[in-house]
Amino acid sequence: MGLDTQKTFNQLIIMLLVGVMILIGQRVGYGIPVMNAIPGMLIIVAICMASLIIRDLLPNVKFPAFAWASLIGLILCMPFMPTAETVLRFTKEVNFLGTTTPILAIAGISVGTRIDEFKKLSWRIVIISFVVFAGTFFGSAIIAHIILKIQGII
Amino acid sequence: MPEQKTEAELIKFEGRIPIFVRLLLTVLVIVIITELIGTKTINVGIANIVLLPMLYAVVIGVLITPDVLGKSITALQNIINSEEIALAGPLVTLALLPLGVKYGLLVGPAIGKVVQAGPAFILQEFGNLGTILIGLPVALMLGLRREAIGATVSICREPTLGIIAERYGINSPEGTGVLATYLVGTVLGTIFYALLGSIATLTKLHPYALAMACGMGSASMMTASAGALAATVPEMADTILAYAATSNMLTGIDGVYAEVFLALPFVNWLYKKIGPKEGGKK
Repeated sequence: MGLDTQKTFNQLIIMLLVGVMILIGQRVGYGIPVMNAIPGMLIIVAICMASLIIRDLLPNVKFPAFAWASLIGLILCMPFMPTAETVLRFTKEVNFLGTTTPILAIAGISVGTRIDEFKKLSWRIVIISFVVFAGTFFGSAIIAHIILKIQGII
Repeated sequence: MPEQKTEAELIKFEGRIPIFVRLLLTVLVIVIITELIGTKTINVGIANIVLLPMLYAVVIGVLITPDVLGKSITALQNIINSEEIALAGPLVTLALLPLGVKYGLLVGPAIGKVVQAGPAFILQEFGNLGTILIGLPVALMLGLRREAIGATVSICREPTLGIIAERYGINSPEGTGVLATYLVGTVLGTIFYALLGSIATLTKLHPYALAMACGMGSASMMTASAGALAATVPEMADTILAYAATSNMLTGIDGVYAEVFLALPFVNWLYKKIGPKEGGKK
């Protein structure tokens, strides 16, 4: 499957609009001047677009754009990369928590037609969540305990 | 309802500009309101509950939809209705990408520490599959179906939201599940982990092993559980906090990949084994 240029263009417009929203949000919430954060935001949008394009070009690699985005970000700012200093200097003006607020607002709206399903989950999801939270904790602790024992650290 | 459009169709602008304008302006208003409220910390004795703007944002987002407040305030239905809600689905996937980039940017500079971190740190990551091993059977027992996949694939922090939203769509049953666990974690996660951390040594597992377990990919949950654990064994406090932070950083780095290549295939495999057979297909 090739690239749907129309779709990619639409994605770019939407990413830029999301970027504007993040810039306004973090101006309000964290007092970061919009102008200071524009270069960093553009870098981030560029990485987002790269990850969307890579995903569309490699449909057989079952790797989501979200993972591509974080992988590209990671590679660009590893200590020995020539890009690290520049990328980090600009993107640090884009607040981590600031990127989360629009996501959750949209996510909230997107489940609007599924309220009944959440109601059906109700108390059961609280129990399931607690089991899930305990599961990761003790799963990791038991393995760590065994390995540390083998290594003779404990 | 005009539900069955593909992602490419939903994000087309022709003739759909008003839908985009209504949705994006609504989101912008929510963002401004929630950022104005800002982060609030409530102390409940054993732990601090931290309320972030994103939490209010998701609550307001749900509230303004036609089935909730829109029911009684009909003016809201003129702004947010089924078309806007349908568009919100693919927009979540796109809006998540900057967060994905930020994750990468946070951990890239620290990549050296991961290489130094010993085998225990790396292997205990497999313990995160415990969410599925214990969680999925419980979820199925309580009558969940495909929602169980999203709800138990991990502790459902933001990266999981991104992965599930992209693979299944946020308005799929799997999306409902991941969002549900996400919400419970956001509201009750730190309290739960603070409690768990304070009683964890009763299991006779070594505090260092428990410390590594505290790093599960959420800074606030890690802080709560490691802080509580350290308070019960103060003579080991420094090492506990260091182990927890390293493990948390590791999960931040490899969590996304572990989920895509391990947890998601594993939860689907286990669902096939012990889940309901096709009968009640949705």
